[in-house]
Amino acid sequence: MIENKITRRVFLGTAAFFVSAPILASLPKTESSVGIKKILADGQFFNAHELTVLTDIAEIMIPKTHTPGATEAQVIPVLDALMLSWAGNDTKKRYRQLIIQVEKLAQDSYKKNYLESLQPERVSLLTVLDKRSFDNPNTDISINYRKLKELIFHVYYTSEEANPDYVLIPGTYKGCLSKQEYQNLVNKRLGRAS
Amino acid sequence: MTEKYDVIVVGSGITGGWAAKEFCEKGFKTLVIERGRNIDHRGTEYTDMQAPWKIQNRNLLPESFGEDGRYTDISGKGFFKGATQQFFTDNKEHPFSYPKDRPAKWVRGYQLGGRSLTWGRQSLRWGPKDFEANAKDGHGVPWPIGYQDLAPWYDYVEEFVGISANKDGLDVLPDGVFQKPWEMSCAETHISEKLEQAYQDRRLIIGRAANITEPNAVQSALGRGQCQARAYCKRGCSFGAYFSSLSATLPAAKRTGNLTVVTDAIVSKVNYDAKTRKASGVSVIDAKTKQERQYHARVVFLCASAFASIQIMLNSKSETFKNGIANSSGVLGHYIMDHFSGVQTNAIVPGFSDKVAFGRRPIATYIPNYRHDQKDGVNFVRGYGYQATAQQRRHSGTKAKSAGLGKQVKDNSKVPTVWRFITLMYGEMLPYFDNAASLHANKRDQWGIPLLHIDAQIKENERKMIKQAAIDIKEMLEVAGCTNININQVAEDQHIQIGDRIHEMGGACMGDDPKASVLNKWAQCHDVANLFVTDGACMSSCATQNPSLTYMAITARSANYAAKLMEAGTL
Repeated sequence: MIENKITRRVFLGTAAFFVSAPILASLPKTESSVGIKKILADGQFFNAHELTVLTDIAEIMIPKTHTPGATEAQVIPVLDALMLSWAGNDTKKRYRQLIIQVEKLAQDSYKKNYLESLQPERVSLLTVLDKRSFDNPNTDISINYRKLKELIFHVYYTSEEANPDYVLIPGTYKGCLSKQEYQNLVNKRLGRAS
Repeated sequence: MTEKYDVIVVGSGITGGWAAKEFCEKGFKTLVIERGRNIDHRGTEYTDMQAPWKIQNRNLLPESFGEDGRYTDISGKGFFKGATQQFFTDNKEHPFSYPKDRPAKWVRGYQLGGRSLTWGRQSLRWGPKDFEANAKDGHGVPWPIGYQDLAPWYDYVEEFVGISANKDGLDVLPDGVFQKPWEMSCAETHISEKLEQAYQDRRLIIGRAANITEPNAVQSALGRGQCQARAYCKRGCSFGAYFSSLSATLPAAKRTGNLTVVTDAIVSKVNYDAKTRKASGVSVIDAKTKQERQYHARVVFLCASAFASIQIMLNSKSETFKNGIANSSGVLGHYIMDHFSGVQTNAIVPGFSDKVAFGRRPIATYIPNYRHDQKDGVNFVRGYGYQATAQQRRHSGTKAKSAGLGKQVKDNSKVPTVWRFITLMYGEMLPYFDNAASLHANKRDQWGIPLLHIDAQIKENERKMIKQAAIDIKEMLEVAGCTNININQVAEDQHIQIGDRIHEMGGACMGDDPKASVLNKWAQCHDVANLFVTDGACMSSCATQNPSLTYMAITARSANYAAKLMEAGTL
């Protein structure tokens, strides 16, 4: 079950000027059989449909494992806010373009909309797109995809969920520790039991 | 409107702060004029207490900067991020000029505290050979001072600043008044030991950081605390452990009750009184209203940064000085320099796979210049050092910029991999007369001040250094047992931009001969006794060491000298 409330924390970091939150709507009564987490409300920049596609793409790129995935890390709500406070015109255009291109790929590949494709089909589609975007870097779709991937990864890996051991104030530098000594120091600084 | 003070200090950066502190503490009513905005120490512009997920735009710079051609001077630097952007100046808003085929950079910080908020904090003394070099090989103007003249002033500023460093016992990099040094990582220690075994003259030492590790009473009284190993210095240091004008010198000046600070005031020129043959004060243009006003003082210290002080002086024209104040020699604006880096390397340090580092050390390691004496048959003069680091063990990438996605990629991300040692050459650029800054003939900024035109390039001597530096570092990395050595050397025909290292120097160089230099041994103008220039402009050569500590020592020494003259009634 994904978290359907956006915490205030998500937006503090994107406050170049104040932007209100896109709302990840409550999940549909039941998740669809294709495993899509459907977004019901428009965001600041992307509409609900675009947010649904992007949320799925992000979760396929960075799925929940023993650590939080892109959805738990609020990657797409943050990305949506960044469209207003950070993105240039080219990026805005490219991200929208990519959503259309991904949907067309799904149609071409599976004869159905991206959101109607089965989860393994969507994973397969993105895996191929990912590889081709680096093998053939100069096509429009490759550029659009890589640009989106880079931001999704950046937002995820700068999230609190992806950095449970982050220490804002280390207090000291030690240049030659065993992994256990290191972990003990991290735990101590974070007030956790070793 | 006119106001009168004992001393006017132009600029509030690393030297302006020192001049203000020294004069205020000696009882002189001192006015500091800063062209940028006011900001407060620990104020809202500091971002050092923000975790990565709380930083504006996740630390990304707005893409509009690139689209609109803004901040092009600084945009390539790794430290120019969302969290630091506010402390750098947009060169589109504040343009300067350069020849089309020889572009230059001029990184600035228009705010109270100037670039002292973002400096690299590496605090290295110059050695005796550095001051002797011009006289020895005939390049530039011979220094009118030697190491011994400055040594007590190095002591003086180091004690106040708080330099964490090791006493290395090297003639080329004299030891000073140090606090507890930062430790090396195991990879750095390994390389350091290997170099010491293999060479008589090449050392890898821990950097000397202007970050307090053992606060003394003076530092504590100013509210400065111990460095917390965050390496967020350029975001503003709320602990005051990182030395800046805002954390240290300006508060010290302020508590005397003798300090006045005006911000948003652009000094357009130093005014000259032909009757007294002295500077009468300065003219400023209000940055917001564009109204002009004047301030008067017995003494003027230019501490605006090298290029800015040159610009002010060149623009200070009078019947006596038609080509800029104190420019009877005609060398004002000439001999500008910067450090240059033509060689970068990275290499794997094998081993230590069971070791990791904790914390973020605020300083790199350093290989001081070992090429002063043209040993080994090298065909150039001066030399180079290397800034270097292997402070953290590397992690596997996240695949953000390469193929791969999904569970396995995620699980494999951020896994500790190898120790990697990075080096960056810092070469000494010779002082060439024809490397010069001048006023543009017809282009002016929005305040009507002629743009500074910067025309400088490295030459044959520097190209030879780059070649040898690449050979040397490869050898040293091999000696240290490094593998996968990558050497990135600039092409022989590739222009290296002056200003790229942000160590601009020269333009109003010191010297004994008034016909060949602008300043005497006290950084006092030969032509105008009450005008001093103690920022980077006064430098007669640039050595290889980061220069800020030397600027501070020169400023404190000059301020002490000027104060004595003022007390004696000479100024």
